[in-house]
Formats: sequence, C-alpha cells, structure tokens
Amino acid sequence: MPKAVKFSIFDHELVPQHILLSREEAEEVLKTYRIKPYQLPYIKESDPAVRAIGAKPGDVVKIVRKSPTAGIAIAYRYVVEG
Amino acid sequence: MTMSVEEGISKVISGIKFGIWSPSEIRKYSVVEVQTADTYDEDGAPIPSGLMDGRLGTLEPRQRCKTCGNTAARCPGHFGHIELAVPVIHVGFAKTIHELLTVACRNCGRILIPDHRIQAIKEKMAQLKELLGTIPESFYDVVKREAKKASICPHCGAQQKTIEFEKPTIFREDGQRLTPSMVRERLERITDEDYRLLGYDPEYARPEWMVLSVIPVPPVYVRPSITLESGIRSEDDLTHKLVDIIRINQRLRENIEAGAPSIIIDDLAELLQYHVTTYFDNEAPGIPPARHRSGRALKTLSQRLKGKEGRFRANLSGKRVDFSARTVISPDPNLDLNEVGIPVEVAMRLTVPEKVTAWNIERLRKLVTNGPDKYPGAVYVIRPDGRRIRLEFAADREKIAEALEPGYVVERHLQDGDIALFNRQPSLHRMSIMAHRVKVLPYKTFRLHLCVCPPYNADFDGDEMNLHIPQSEEAQTEALLLMQVQDQILSPRYGGPIIGAIRDFITGAYLLTEKSTMLDAKEVFNLLAAAGYEGPIPPPATTDPKPMWSGKQIFSLFLPKDFTYFGKASICRNCEQCLGENCPYDAYVVVKNGQLISGVIDKNSIGAERSESLYHRIVKEYGTDYARRFLISICRMINAFLTMRGFTYSVDELDMPEEVRKKIREIVAEAEKEVNKLIEMYRSGTLKMFAGRTAEESFEIQVMDVLAKARDRAAAIADEFFGMDNSGIVMTRSGARGSSLNIGQMTACVGQQSVRGKRVMRGYRGRALPHFKVDDPSPKARGFVYSCYRDGLDPIEFFFHAMGGREGLVDTAVRTQQSGYMQRRLINALEHLRVEYDGTVRDPQGYIVQFRYGEDGVDPAKSDHGKAVNVARVIQEVKLKREMKKKASTKFVEKKLEEVRDQITPKLFEELREHLLASDLDEDAVEEVVFNVVLQYKRALVEPGEAVGIVAAQSIGEPGTQMTLRTFHYAGVKERDVTLGLPRLIEIVDARRTPSTPLMKIYLDEEHRYGLEKAREVSREILYTTIRDVARKISISAEHLAVVVELDPNMMRDREVSVEQVKNAIHIPGCEVEAEDDRVLIYPVEIELTDVQKIPERVASTPLKGIPGVKRVTLEKEGGEWVIYAEGSNMSRVLKVRGIDPSRTKTNNIHEIAETLGIEAARQTIIEEAMYVLQEQGLDVDVRHIMLVADVMTATGEVRQIGRHGVSGEKPSILARAAFEITVPTLLEAAARGEIDPLKGITESVIVGQQVPVGTGVVEIFMSPPTRKEG
Repeated sequence: MPKAVKFSIFDHELVPQHILLSREEAEEVLKTYRIKPYQLPYIKESDPAVRAIGAKPGDVVKIVRKSPTAGIAIAYRYVVEG
Repeated sequence: MTMSVEEGISKVISGIKFGIWSPSEIRKYSVVEVQTADTYDEDGAPIPSGLMDGRLGTLEPRQRCKTCGNTAARCPGHFGHIELAVPVIHVGFAKTIHELLTVACRNCGRILIPDHRIQAIKEKMAQLKELLGTIPESFYDVVKREAKKASICPHCGAQQKTIEFEKPTIFREDGQRLTPSMVRERLERITDEDYRLLGYDPEYARPEWMVLSVIPVPPVYVRPSITLESGIRSEDDLTHKLVDIIRINQRLRENIEAGAPSIIIDDLAELLQYHVTTYFDNEAPGIPPARHRSGRALKTLSQRLKGKEGRFRANLSGKRVDFSARTVISPDPNLDLNEVGIPVEVAMRLTVPEKVTAWNIERLRKLVTNGPDKYPGAVYVIRPDGRRIRLEFAADREKIAEALEPGYVVERHLQDGDIALFNRQPSLHRMSIMAHRVKVLPYKTFRLHLCVCPPYNADFDGDEMNLHIPQSEEAQTEALLLMQVQDQILSPRYGGPIIGAIRDFITGAYLLTEKSTMLDAKEVFNLLAAAGYEGPIPPPATTDPKPMWSGKQIFSLFLPKDFTYFGKASICRNCEQCLGENCPYDAYVVVKNGQLISGVIDKNSIGAERSESLYHRIVKEYGTDYARRFLISICRMINAFLTMRGFTYSVDELDMPEEVRKKIREIVAEAEKEVNKLIEMYRSGTLKMFAGRTAEESFEIQVMDVLAKARDRAAAIADEFFGMDNSGIVMTRSGARGSSLNIGQMTACVGQQSVRGKRVMRGYRGRALPHFKVDDPSPKARGFVYSCYRDGLDPIEFFFHAMGGREGLVDTAVRTQQSGYMQRRLINALEHLRVEYDGTVRDPQGYIVQFRYGEDGVDPAKSDHGKAVNVARVIQEVKLKREMKKKASTKFVEKKLEEVRDQITPKLFEELREHLLASDLDEDAVEEVVFNVVLQYKRALVEPGEAVGIVAAQSIGEPGTQMTLRTFHYAGVKERDVTLGLPRLIEIVDARRTPSTPLMKIYLDEEHRYGLEKAREVSREILYTTIRDVARKISISAEHLAVVVELDPNMMRDREVSVEQVKNAIHIPGCEVEAEDDRVLIYPVEIELTDVQKIPERVASTPLKGIPGVKRVTLEKEGGEWVIYAEGSNMSRVLKVRGIDPSRTKTNNIHEIAETLGIEAARQTIIEEAMYVLQEQGLDVDVRHIMLVADVMTATGEVRQIGRHGVSGEKPSILARAAFEITVPTLLEAAARGEIDPLKGITESVIVGQQVPVGTGVVEIFMSPPTRKEG
C-alpha cells in the first residue's frame, strides 16, 4: 500500500487553529482575565495539536474556534506536562 | 426582618480543616473516662463513668448537663474517652498505614529515597506549586512508587522486607504478623519532613495517630436511647458497640495485669480490634458484620454517613423546613397564571410575619383579635424585645391587639396576594419551583391554572405538590422578582415558551378561529366578559340576517394593535406547493396590525413548548407580563366558548362505513400476502440478505417493515376518512391531544406488538403461545394485532398486547432511574460554575471554564430560540413603523456596521450585514435597525452570577426522561445499528473508552469519491479481513498430512485477495506453506503434535488486509459523493489509508479523537455527538448547554468523565465529594492529608448552612463604611 501524503491535523475540520503565544502576549491574556496561568484550561504537552506547533509546558496557546453561536470564538489553554 | 434577637453579626465560615484527632487531644477534650460498660442502674439513673454519664450531656427535658450546666436544648454535648489496653488499627486508615509502612525504612523510619532525590523532589514540588498552584495527587503517587522500589534503605542501609496487607486490619512482614503496637512504633519513627513529601500534614495528622490508643466516646446526643411504650429502654447501635469495646478492653487489661499467657492476650486483642473495626465500619471487607440480637446488622459510624439515607445526603444536603404544605392538586381555569389556590385550612396553619406600621395597624389589630382559629387571623405577636406571644393561649386577645404598635411583628394567616413557592417533584429543572400569588379558596386541594402544567409536568390523576412560604422580606422580594410564573415562560433549555395553551384550550382556539365560526352579539358579549375584555367592539363581519362576528375577529381583540406575524398552523398538511394566505385548509396564519386575517389558531400559534410561534413572538416583543395577560384572557375566553359550544368525542365517532373498513382489511390482507411471499422466500433461501445479518434477522426486518407499512397505510385511510368534523381529528390535527397513530389504532388496526424491538418470539420453544405451530412465522403468531381497539382484540391479540404494554412500563421505570442518576451527576459536576462579572465562566477557585459563556455570552433563556437577535424581525418592525425614503447606500450601511463591529459577535455582524444590504431601508431606518440589534444583543447577554452550570445540567437532564431507552436504532440504512437515545447520551457524559457501537464516517478524496467501484476499492483497504473471512473450510487433513485451507473464490473476489496473498500471510514456525489453485496447504515439518491442533485457529485469525477493529463497511451516497461507514473504529490507522479524505473523516469514539486530533477536536466531537443524539430524539436543547459540558469535560487537557472518576472526583471541596458518592474514604483521606475545605462551592455551602455563591448570592458590597472623621 503506497504511503499517504503528509496530513496535518490542522486540515481536519474538527481541529481549530492553535497559536502559540509569546511571553508578552500570554502575559497580556493573564492580565485581562486577572488570573494566574494555571487558572486557564489546560492542554497537554502530548496533545497532537501542541506537538504540531511545538509548544512547551508553561506556554499559553490561543485557540480560534469556529462557533455555532458566535461565528468565531477565542479560547486559551495552558500547556501542562503529560 | 425585625427579629431583633436572631439578628446579629452573622459570621461566615471561611473553611473547614480536616485532621486526625491525636490521643492527647482526645484526652484533652474528654470530660470523662468511660470505664463501665453499663448505661443505667435499676432506677434509671446514668451510672457514673458509664456510657451515659451525665457529664456527656443530658437528654432528659428538665435535667441539667453536669459539664456545662445547660438544659438539653442548649447543651452541645461533650466527648468522653476510652483508654485502650493495647493499640488498635483504625480500619479507615489501614490502607494508608500499609502504604506508609512500605515507603518508610523498617529500621530508621526514613523514607526510602536517597537525600539527593529528596532534594530534587522538593524542588519539583516547589516548581509544580508555582506552575499549577497546587501539587496534583498523582505527584505523590509517583513519589510513593519510587520509595516502594528500594530494597535497601539509602539512609541506614537496612534490608527492607515486603509487607503484606490483609483486609481489613492485618499486616505481615515476610509472613510475620505485625501487631498494632509494632506498627505504631514504626509510624512514630517517620519524620515530619519525610511525611510531607508524601502529601500528608504532620501537624494535623501524625501517622501514629492512625493507630488508636484512645478512642473518643461521642456525647449522648449522637446515640440517644429510646424508651419504648413498655418502659423498656433501647440503646442506640453505637452505644451497643461501645459496650462491646469497653467489655473486651477491660478483660484484656485484667489479663495483661494478671500476666496471662500471650495466646489469650493476643486473642483478646484481636477481639478488641474486631469491635473497634466494626464500631467504625460495619461493612468492612473480610470480617462478619456485628449484629444485633435480632440478627440485624448494626448501623455504625460509617453507615450513618453513607448513601442516600446517610447523614450527608439525607440531613446535610437536604434539610427539612417549616412553613411548608403538601396536598393533592386540581385544576382551576379561573385562577390567574401566577396564582395558586390554597385551602383555608392550610392558610390558617401557614403564617407570614408582617411588620406593624402606622398604615396597617388597624388591619393587623383585627387579625390579632380574630386569633388563630378564625380566618383571617394571626397566630403570634412578636414584641420589639423579641418576646413571642402565642395567641392560641392568650386570655385576652383584644388587649394584645390594643397593645400593638409600630415595631411589633404579627405572624398572620396566609392571605390573598401573599407570595408562595410552589413545587412538584421530581424537580428536574428550575421551572419545577415557581413563585405564585396566594389565593385562599374553599375545599382541600391546591389549585393551579392548567397552563402551568407543562413546566411542573403535572396532571390531576392524584398528583400532590408542595408549597413553601418565604418568610423574610428579602426572600419574598427575590421570589417576586425572579421566580414568578411569568418570568419562567421562556425555558432556558431552548429559548422558547414552555408555558402556553394546552389540551382543550387548543381545541377551543381552533374551533373559535375556524372560518365557519360566527357569533352573534350575545355570544360575543359573553365571551368578552369571560375574558375580562374592556374596550371597543369591532363592526360585525356580517349584518345579514343579524349582526355576527367571526371567531377570528374576536380573537384579534386580544392581540397587540401593532402586531404582525406569519406562520403555519399545526393543521398544515405540508402541501407540495404552499399557497400561503390562500391555503385551502386555512392553515396559514397571518396577523397584520393586530388582526388575524387568515389561518386558524392552534398548537403552532399558542401552544406550550412551541418555539417561534405567535405566542412566542408576543412574549419576546411585549414582555412576559403582557404575555401572561394575553394567555390568561384567551384561555378564559376559549374556556367560555368551548363550554358554550360543547365538545365531546364519542364511540360512534369511531364508526366507519363498511366500504372503508373493507379497504383497510384489503390493505392488511395484502400485507399478509406479502409476508407469505417473504416466508416462502425465506424457506427456499432466496430471500434478500442484509450484510452481516443472519437469514432469520434479515427476514424479520423485512416482515416488520411490511407490517409497519401496512399499519400506517390502514391508519392513513382511516385518518383520511374522518374529516375535520370529527372531534378526534380536531384534537390530533390541532395538536391538542393524541396523534393520528392513536386514531389509526382505535379505528383501523393496532399493529405489531413488540418485545425488545422484535416481534414476539418468547414463551414456548419456537412459538409464543401453544395455539400456534412451532416456528410459525406468520404475523398473527408473532404478535401482529389485526383488530382495532374499537372492534376489540381477540384473546391472543390481547395477550400479545399485554406483553408489549408491560415492556413499555418496565422501560419507563428503568429510564427514569437512569436519567435521574445522569442528572445527579451532571448537577454535581457543574453546580459550582457561574458567570463572572467579566463574562467568563469560572469555578469558585477562579479557574476559567469558558472565556465567554456559550462563546457569545448570550443567555439561552433570553435568546430567541437560541439566537441573540432575530434580525429579520427587527428590520420588519422598523419597516412597518415608518415610510421609507431613499435607500441607504452600501457605503453608509458598511460605515454604520463598522461602528458596532466590536459590540456584537462576528456571526451576528454578518447576519445583520446580509439583511441590511438585501433590504431597501433608508439611512434613518438603517441606523435604527443597527441600534436595535445592538440593544437587543446586549439585553440577551447573561447576567453575572448566573448559575449556568446548573441550568446546563438541568437542560440536558430534564429531557433525559423523555428519551427512548431502546439501544438500537436503524439510522438511515437498515443494516446498521447505532446506539442512540439515553444510553448513548450517558455514554458520552461517561467518557467511556469505547462506545458500544463504534462507528466511523470516512470521506474519500477527489479521486475516489464519485465512483462506486473506486470507493469500494478504498473500503477493501479498510475492512479488516482475515483468512477466516475468505476460507470455506479450514481443517486438518489426514490424507495430505497437512492443514488444508479451502478458499471461497466468491469471497476472495469480494475482498480482492489472491491465493498468493493468503499463502504469504501465513507464517507458522516449523511449517511449510504451499498454495494450490483454491487451496492453501500447511505442512507441519518440525512441530509438536499438540501444536498442530492449534494451527487451524491460528490460521483463521491471520490478518490479510484492512484495519483491525473495522468489522463491517457500508457504502452510501451522500450529497453526490460516496461515503464509507465503518463499524469499529481505529482513527489513527484509517487516517493513513490512501484514498480517504483525512480532513473530514470522523469517529464517534471521543478518546480516539483526543489521541489523534487533540483535546480541542475531542471537545468539538462531544458537542456534535451529544447534539446529534438530542436532535435525533426530537429534543430541543440549546448548544450552549452542551458546550459547557464539553468544556468542563476537556478543561484539564484530557477527556474526563462526568462522575466520581472524573469531574466530580476532582472537585476541591471535601464535603462536596463526600456528599456525592464515596463518602467515608473521602473524609478519611482529607483528614490524613490535613486538607482544608474552602467552602466556596454549592454543596458545601448548603451543608454548613451558608449562602450559596451563585445568582443573587454572589453579590457583595465592596465598600467600607465611612470612617468618622474627628472634628
């Protein structure tokens, strides 16, 4: 069986866009919500999407979802070990 | 309220710290060392130093406590203690003790981890604390595992031995028994610092305290004795157990002191251990439960806390209340929607405190004079100093009334207009408790308006309901502002009205607004008077022969004058081409400027649980109070109309002329012929087979299909025959009650009875009843009921019908249980979530679950069937209101839109843009529309504090009861089974590893998607094929001295496998494989004979091609392309198959999605799967609720279950976890770890009796009182 072409999970319709935030951007997010990073929802280091964008524990990932209610919705997740 | 005594500084408990009582503390708190196993002496006086010692507190009414000097009412009770002769293991901590023994050195007591690792662990702990805020439980498990591995102590070099633990309390080291004292000694040696590494708190829970040397004796209030009528005292189970402990303890002490042989001492120590163990937990594994003389197992400490009847769930999470009443309910259409009729007897028992003021003093004096036995009266007078005067015993009530002054409070009888909370169990959603106005009425039932039946799910077949009277002014105000019936018209579940017209109101509305209904002046006046209408009467529709008004005209009087609406009625026949206003059935409802121009009013216009109806528009646009008045007026009018007109449904309305009956008989006979044909084909083996089904199953499916169609056709004929002049048809078509299925069953044919979704087969061997031949597959023999209810069933049919009916009953009972438990879990997992002031959804610790509630911040209850703003409606309204000038330019529209872009959601923005550009509004109108849309969007936003978690849990749990339990459902094609309904929903929230029917939907790439052959090619690569699938026979042949695989050429072609491939797939060591044309031979060369026996099985399961797990594939054409449905799921492998479209391929296995596509995709899948299940069942649930569940389930980065092994088990509150499921171990664990319950959640707050931190409970005043400045 011939090998299939390389498939990026971000091409899948279930997977929203994941964006790795810089320290400053992450800081900005934490400030808007007045929270510590661990109060964000988590995403594991081993998550396929995290590995694809190369985020490390301690990073904050911005997620741009397609939303049935708002059209576009933004969420953040904190990368944790595991 | 002015209850000056009880008013005071209310303190808030900020947390509860758990810990283990140390022996010294137990002694310190003890008021008496209990030494005597007896309770009372012959006179009934407590024996000093006995279990009922007066110092432990007193239960007798007029006695004073010997410790604190208070009477029974005020004395809190005091602990005593028992000094144990030998230490005893605490059962609850046995497992923890075992762990500690295995991680600590048997010699020096240090943890079995070298110093440098300890340092590293400490650093890691500090780092985790910094990164995550807390140290996760799993970290300590890792530390423990590391320590367990060591066999030599890194500190003192001592060789470690294995320690075995035998339930419940026995420890052995290399087979050598460790006595509790030895265990205790070892635990004592563990240093505080090492102990902390394991996550325990030495300050509050030293390990040696887990071995008891002293046990506390609870005060008598905890274990009151009961005096029976005969005067015999009966002691509490705990007292009995304590007696046992003291007795054995004493014997043990005496023996030790006397220097008895160690065997006796050991036996006694063992016995003491047994008694102490059962004192804590009488269901401990490995030991027989202690029993009462009667043989009943004793209810000891653990049993008191556990379970539904335990302390947590029965007394702490749910408390009993005063000022409540319960009785049977009955209907009263004359009440207002938000009224509740209360019997005078009840009104005289329930009271409301009313403050005396200058304005009500005269009235209250009268009430006080009337006293408690004359309605309206009063029961208590409370003086400003807090003294309560009970009017029942007051000698001279006149005098008390005279003494009344502002500042007094009178607890008077319930009166009309008071506020009451009305409730019917099961309270599945917030509309199950609503605030009503009291209406005191004669007779003995609670009465309610029929339109509030749907939210309560009440009927009048004997239902009882509860009533509560809020006492404080705060409570009354809150109930009035938030909980009144009209505030609950719109359900948060789907953003539509749940309260509306039902049953006869709908029939009546239909009959009233029918084209032919004409009313004369007298009738019109009667109707309008009944509805309480005041206002002008329109000119009559005809004046010939006398003035007559149409029903539509009269109905229109109650519509708002500027109201416009278009919609379809329930009687709509869904014609191929809708004629709109010219509908021949008058099914197209048109309201222009408050005039009902065409269409009849029925369920689709004013019914309950109908979204986007005429009534829904009125609620949204004119407010809930207007809607209430509208509903009540039309209901009263319809009631009067229907009473005047009369409406019955009688048996003779079920009659049909012979020719129609004949037609029905013919249809059924035809079906029977067809079934006979199927039987023939089945017997001859020429029947069409479905993939993956046996011949029998395929046959049954086809027979059931034929019979179901026949029944439907027969019913359709009956339905057609009866016209709108038939009362039954009026009810079914208008949506008042029943369905055309019911009509069909009554008049045409009842149809197939089923058990477990199949025709009736059970009973005798091969037949259901002895009246049939064995294996008779005819319709009659397997439960097809030819008769209709009107004609009556013959005995055999009747029996089958009863079988089907019984299954229905059982099904309902099981379903309510399952959905009830699902709802409990959902509530528990989500209860603490609320919207914060910044619009995020968080738990009480401030952890964010959603960044914006429902991603757009809109409250489903305030939405318009899920949408924040109905843009089309806004534009229509503006259009109707004003004359249009020049059409606004696109540029102007874009500019206006740009101004509000950041105020509304992208989706709303786009929608608004599209609508505006398509309309021909002028500039002013555009401006107004944009303004209104933004305004309405902001009005639809959730309010801070809203308990969105509870609302979501209710919105998913409540419809659970209405779902089918039947596991299998034929989705689309008949060959495919998919778990749906309640079981599937439970599966989703359970986050099961594998769904019970794993299913993949595989899309194909550009090349393969259009041709069936191309698609089949791909499907062959996916379907898992083993040799078993292509072999006709695999046997050991003596002739060839080989294992022979005979291949089936048909199957080979079907699966596209060559003989060569089969040969190459077989690899068995010590064997040689040879291929002939249709056979493969396996010659054993160097192999044991016994192993030869195993070869056939091994060969059969040898994979040839495809993906493991995929058991069956079906191809289907969807929207012009071929799609593969695969039963069995293996996402990661399928994604790599050539020819598929990986970007659209999905599975219903949520965990697989999480692994291959990540947690975000899993979240999306949870939403999609849950929504699909609900929609398939025809249940309307807003996505926002599902989203919240999905967000909670995926918040930690992995898919967590809604339940004790997931979300609920990870709640930070100990009390909440204890109240949910695993009560006792949770508490013990918390004690050992010295955990603190911050009391920030819901359950905890309820347990300690504090205000709940959601809704109005989150409001706090952030203001310090101005400090008085000097000078």
